[in-house]
Amino acid sequence: MDFKKILDSFTWKPQEAYDFSIAQTEENNHNQEENVNPLENRKKIVSHLDVNLEYIKTRFNTFLNSDIILREFTLLVHNKPYKAFLLFIDGMVDSNLINDFILKPLMLRNSTNTFQTQKEKNISQTITNNVSLRKVKKFDLAQYISSRLLPQNSITEEKEMDAIISGVNAGNCALFIDTLEIAFDIEVKGFKQRSVDSPNNEIIIKGPQEAFVENIRTNTSLLRRITNNEQLIIENIEIGKVTKTKCALCYMENITNSDLVAEVKYRLNNLEIDSLLSSGQLEQLIIDDNQIGVPEILSTERPDKTAKHLLQGRVVVLVNGSPYSLIMPATFIDFMSSPEDTNLKPYFANFLRTLRFLASIITLLLPGFYVAVTSFHQEILPTELLYSILSARETVPFPVIFEIFIMEVSFELIREAGLRVPSPIGPTIGIVGALVLGQAAVSANIVSPILIIIIALTGIASFAIPDFSFGFHLRFFRFGFVLLGYIAGFLGISIGLFVYLSILCNIRSFGVPFMAPFAPAINSKGNGYFIPPIWKQEYRATYVAPKKEKAQDHISMKWKYK
Amino acid sequence: MNHSRIGTLEAICLILSVIIIRTVLSLPKAILALTNSASIINLFYVGLLMLLLVYMIYRFFQKFPGMDIIDVSEVLGGNILKKIVGFIFIFYFIVSSSIFLRNFCECLRIVYYPSTSILFVILFFIIALCATNYLSFNASLKANLIITPIALGSIIFLFVANFRHFSPQRIFPILGNGIFETFVTGLGNISSFSGIVFLYFLPPLLKEPQKFKKVAITSVVLSVIYLMITVSIVLFIFPYFVKIDEVMPLYSAATYIEFGSFFQRLESVFLLIWMLVLACYLGIISKFVLLIFRKITNVKDFKPTIYPVGLCILAVSLFPKNYAMAKFYETDIYPYLMIGIVCIMSFLILLLASFRRKRKVGDLD
Amino acid sequence: MNKILRNIFILLVIIIFIVAFSPSYTSLNIDNLAYVIALGIDVGENEDFNISFQFTTGSSTSDSGSSEKSPLIINSVEASSIDSAINLMNSYLAKKINLSHCRLLIFSEEVASQGISDAVYTLANDSQVRHSANIIVSKNTAKDYMQNSTPILENLITKYYEIFPNSSKYTGYIYNVTFADFLNQYLCNTCEPFAILGGVNKNANTSENTSQSTSVTTMKSTNTPFSGDRGAENLGIAVFKDDKLVGELTAIETLCLSILRGDTDSFLISVPDPDNPEKLLDIKISNEGHKKIKVDIVNGSPYIRFEAKFTGRVYSMKDNAHYLDDAMLEAISNAANQYLEEALTQYLYRTSMEFKSDISGFGKYALSSFLTAQDFEEYDWQNSYVNSTFKVTIDTEIQSGFLINET
Repeated sequence: MDFKKILDSFTWKPQEAYDFSIAQTEENNHNQEENVNPLENRKKIVSHLDVNLEYIKTRFNTFLNSDIILREFTLLVHNKPYKAFLLFIDGMVDSNLINDFILKPLMLRNSTNTFQTQKEKNISQTITNNVSLRKVKKFDLAQYISSRLLPQNSITEEKEMDAIISGVNAGNCALFIDTLEIAFDIEVKGFKQRSVDSPNNEIIIKGPQEAFVENIRTNTSLLRRITNNEQLIIENIEIGKVTKTKCALCYMENITNSDLVAEVKYRLNNLEIDSLLSSGQLEQLIIDDNQIGVPEILSTERPDKTAKHLLQGRVVVLVNGSPYSLIMPATFIDFMSSPEDTNLKPYFANFLRTLRFLASIITLLLPGFYVAVTSFHQEILPTELLYSILSARETVPFPVIFEIFIMEVSFELIREAGLRVPSPIGPTIGIVGALVLGQAAVSANIVSPILIIIIALTGIASFAIPDFSFGFHLRFFRFGFVLLGYIAGFLGISIGLFVYLSILCNIRSFGVPFMAPFAPAINSKGNGYFIPPIWKQEYRATYVAPKKEKAQDHISMKWKYK
Repeated sequence: MNHSRIGTLEAICLILSVIIIRTVLSLPKAILALTNSASIINLFYVGLLMLLLVYMIYRFFQKFPGMDIIDVSEVLGGNILKKIVGFIFIFYFIVSSSIFLRNFCECLRIVYYPSTSILFVILFFIIALCATNYLSFNASLKANLIITPIALGSIIFLFVANFRHFSPQRIFPILGNGIFETFVTGLGNISSFSGIVFLYFLPPLLKEPQKFKKVAITSVVLSVIYLMITVSIVLFIFPYFVKIDEVMPLYSAATYIEFGSFFQRLESVFLLIWMLVLACYLGIISKFVLLIFRKITNVKDFKPTIYPVGLCILAVSLFPKNYAMAKFYETDIYPYLMIGIVCIMSFLILLLASFRRKRKVGDLD
Repeated sequence: MNKILRNIFILLVIIIFIVAFSPSYTSLNIDNLAYVIALGIDVGENEDFNISFQFTTGSSTSDSGSSEKSPLIINSVEASSIDSAINLMNSYLAKKINLSHCRLLIFSEEVASQGISDAVYTLANDSQVRHSANIIVSKNTAKDYMQNSTPILENLITKYYEIFPNSSKYTGYIYNVTFADFLNQYLCNTCEPFAILGGVNKNANTSENTSQSTSVTTMKSTNTPFSGDRGAENLGIAVFKDDKLVGELTAIETLCLSILRGDTDSFLISVPDPDNPEKLLDIKISNEGHKKIKVDIVNGSPYIRFEAKFTGRVYSMKDNAHYLDDAMLEAISNAANQYLEEALTQYLYRTSMEFKSDISGFGKYALSSFLTAQDFEEYDWQNSYVNSTFKVTIDTEIQSGFLINET
C-alpha cells in the first residue's frame, strides 16, 4: 500500500487549477453616465406610503443591505390609524431613543393620540344669506405629530427624498407616514463612541485616530459614517456550522465590479467549516493558495483606510469578533502604502514610498547579499571596506553563514519574546537583547560588528513596511536568500529572485494580478506605485475594473480653473 | 481566459530579452568580427531590411487572422507539415536556448565557480525553469516585463558610465572591411535579430491582436537601437576585440566602470541582472516549446512535459565537449540555424500559404 | 506522503548543491583568501621572474578608537611565471592569493625592457585582476619599490595606492595609467602603451639632500628633489614600443602627454617673466577642453596639427605687478604660449624620432583618412609615425592674478 503511495507521488495527476479573473471590459467605462440610478430622478416624497417604501427599498437595497432597518407599523392619531414606517441604520442610531421616544409615543395608546377633537377646527363661522361660511383650519397631521406626538429635540420635516436619505446616512432616523408628502428626519444619533479606540498597530501621525472594534455592527456603522452613502451595501453572511459567525460583506453598489462581488460572495458562501473565530482564519480560507505565503488580502484595523479602498471599488469583509477588516483584492502597491500617504504632499509621500521599497529590498536581500559577497564576490567591495570586514572577522571563529544564522535567529527571538512578554517586563527584553546579544557577542568575538549592522538594518527595514504580514513574509524569505547566497553567490540569488518574481507575477488576488499595474503593464491612470497630487487622481485603479472609473472631474479645483 | 494572453509591452520585452542574452554573450564581438568599424552602419542597414521582413510577415499574418506559424503550415501542407514545422521549431528553441545556457554558464564558471562542475551551474537554471512551470503561462512573461527593462537599464548605464573611456574616432575607417563586406556578407548580421522568431507565434496570443504591427515594428526598432548601443560600447572602448577573443565583451566593459573609489568592479551586479534575464529567457522558451508541443499533439494538460523539456535542454547544453565547442556552436552554427529557420523557412511557409489562399479565394470567385 | 517525498527531494537537491558548490565556496571565501594589494615583477636570479606580493592587514581599531598604521608584509618568490609564483606562494602562505584588490602592478625596468606582453596577457586572462589597477615601471626593483611605499598620511597603504594617480588631474606630472589602458594601448594598432614611471627616492630616510635635478625638464622618478618618509615616488612616464620599454618621459613631457590626451584639468607652468627674464612666473593653466587634433596623410607621412586653448591665472606675485594691464597679460600669454609650444613640439619629436612610439594616440585621428580597415593596416601607422611632422598652436589667455592684481 505504501509502495503504491510512493509510486503515486511520481506519477502525474492532472492539476485542477481554479481560475478566476475580472474581465476588464471596456464597456464598463462607456456607460458610466447611464449607470446613474434612474430612481434618483424622483426626488419628492409622495403621499402614498407604499410608493415611498418601494423607493426606499430600492434606493437602499434593503434586500442586500443588512444594517438598513425598515420598521413598518401603524400609528394612531385621533384614534385613527395611519400606516407608517421608520427608516434607520442599525449601529448608527441609539435604539433606546427610537424605542422610548418614537415608537412608544406613536404606537402605544395614550392620551395624546387617542384624544379626539373635531377634525377640522373652526376658527370663525359667519352665516350670510343662509350660507354658513366657516373659516376652518384644516387639521394638519404633520404638524400635530411633530408638535404633540414626538417628544424629540430635533425634528425636521423634509420634502426631498435626498435630504431624508442623507440624514439617514448620517445616523438619523426617518419617519414616513401615509398620506403625508413629507417625512420626518429625527435625530437619534447614537454611535458607539465609547468602545471605538485609537488604533494600536497602524499608527499614523496625520489622520483619524479610530480603529475597528470587535462588534461588527459598530464597525459597519464606522464605515457607513465615513462613506456616508446609501450605495454602500453591507450584506450579512453567516459562516461556520457551529459558530454561525456573522460576517459582513461591504461594497459600493455603483462602483465595485459585480463579478468581483459575486466571486467574494461565492467563496464566502461555500465554506464548510465548523467555526470561524477571526478574520485571519477567514483570510486563509478564501484566497487562492500561493506557494510563498504572500498575503493577498489587505487586513487593517483602520476604518478610514477601509473606506478609502471601498470607494476605490474593492470589497471589504468584516468578521464579528475581529477588529480587522479584510480588503480584497489587494496588490503589491497596497502593501507598500500607508494611509498616511494621501494626507501628505505627494513629494513626501512618494519619498516615503521609495524608502519603503528600499526597505523591502533590504529586508529580503541584504543578508543574502552579504553572504554572497563575502563568499564569492569580494571584488565588488571597496578595498577599505574589505579590510574593515577582514579585521572585524579576524577573531570570529564561525563562517559567515553560521554567524548570520545565529544572529538572525536571535533577532527573531528577541522580536518574538518582546511581543509575548507581559508589558511590565518588556524593557528587560530590550536590555537583554541589545546589551547581551549586541555588545557582548561582539566583545566576546562571537560575531563581527559589521554583521550586527547588517542584522539591525534588516530588522529595522522589515518594520518600515506598513503591512505587518507582508513584512513577515519578506523576513521569512530572507532566510531562503541567505541559503541561496551561501550556496552559489549571486547565481543563487538571481535564480531565487527570478523564481520569486515569477511567483509574485503569477499571483492573482481575486482575479487581479498581484503585480498590477507593472506586470502585466496596465495603464493604471495615476494609480501606480507613486501617487500623483490629489487633483490628478482622476481615475480609480483600472485593474480592479470598477463600474465607475472616474473618481473626480478633470478639473477638480473648480474654484481655481473654470 | 484574459490572463493567459500577452500584452503589447510583454511581447516587446519578450523579443528584446533574446537579444539581450545574445549581446551579453558574444554577439557584439561577432558583429564586429564581421563588419569591423562599419558595424553601426551595417546594423542600420540590416535593421531596415529587418523592418521590411517584419512588415511582410505582418502582411502575411493579416491574411490568417488568429493563426500562428504552426496553423499556417497546417493550411499549407496539412497535418504532416504542421508536425514537421512544429518539431523544427521545438528543435530550434531547445538547441538555441541550450547553446546560450552552456556558454553563459561556462563564463560564469570561469569567473566565479572555478571548482564546480558545469553540470551544477546549468542545473541551477534548469531547476528554476521547472519550478516556474508550476505557474501559469505568462508568469514568466510578466516577470520578464519587470526584468527586461532593468537589463536594458543596465546596458544603458554601462554605456553612460563608460563614456569617458570612449574614443568615438574608432567609427572610422567608415567602411570597415570594405563595401562588399559591409553590405553583402554583412547581411549575416541579420541573425542578430533572433527575437523575431516569437513574432511567428504571437498573433493568437496577443491580448490586442490589432496591435501586432506595433509590436513587430517597435521591437525591431528597439532591437536596432539596443544593438547599436552594445556594439558601440564594445567598439569605442576596446580597440582589440577584432584581435583577441575575450569571454563576454560586455562583461569586460562592466569591469571598466568606476565612480570614485567606492563604486568599482560592479561587474558581478551586472552578471546578477543578466543571470535574471537568462533565467527568464529559459522560462519563456520552455513555455513556448510546451505551447508548440500542445499544438501539434493536442495534449490537454501539457504541464508534466516540462520535465522532459528541461532534461532536453540540460542534455543538449552538456553536449559540447568543452567551451571551444560550445563557442563554435554559438558563433558558427547558431546564426545559420536562425537565418535558415526563422528568416527563410518560416517566410517561405507564409509566402506559399498566402499564395495558396489567394488561389483558393480566386477559385471561389 | 506526496508532500513529504517532495520535501525530502527538495532537501536532497539543496544538499547536493551545497556539496557541489562548496569547493568554489572554499576557494573564494573571504576567510580563506589573502588579498594582494601590489604585485611586483622582477627578474629572478635562477628563474625567469622574482615575483613579490605585498599584503597588509586591516588597521585594527581598538575600542578606544585609536588606530595604528597597518603593517606591510612583502613576500617574494622566484618562479618561471606569475601564476606559478602565485601557486608557490599559496602553499607558503596557507591562504589562497586573490588579486581582486591588487591596486598596483609593478614591473622593474629590466623586465619591462625585455618585453612584458606575456605577463600582461596572463594578468588579463585572470578574472580577478582589477582593470583599474595602476601599472608602474620601477627604476629600482619592484621589491624595493614596495618596501619603500609606506603610507604617510593614511593608515592603510591601499588608500595611498588608490589616490596617488589622482594628482595627475591637477599636476600633470604623472598619468593615471590603469591596467586596462595599458592593455588597450598595447593591443590597438593606433597607439602605443606607456606606464607610470616609479622609483625609490635616493634621499629617502636620510636628512641630507644629495644633489638632484630641480628642473621639470629633467625631473623624473629617482631623480627628484623630494625628501620624506616614503621612499617610493612616481613621476614621469615609461614609454613602450610594442611591449618593450624604450624610454622615459620627464615631468614636463608627462605634462605634455597629459595635455594631448586630455587627462589633466589644470597644471602649473613656470615661464620667464617678461619684465625680468631672469625670473620665473608661476602660472596656473586650466584646460578649457577646447582641443583640436588633426592628422592628415601628406605624401605618405602623417602631418599632425595640434591646437589648444587654455586660460590661466598668475600665481607669482611680486612688487610692481600689473596683472590687469592688457599689454602685460599679452606678454605673459605669449611667454606661456611659447613655453608650451616649445615643450610640446620637443616632446612630440622626441616620441617620434627617439622612441618611434605614438604614445599620444594620434593614430585614431588618422583613421578617418582611410576608407577601409585594410587600408589602415597596410599603411602600418605604428611604423609610419616616425615620419610625422608636427605643428603645435597654443592659445593661452592669461586672465589675471588671483586675489591681488596690482601691487
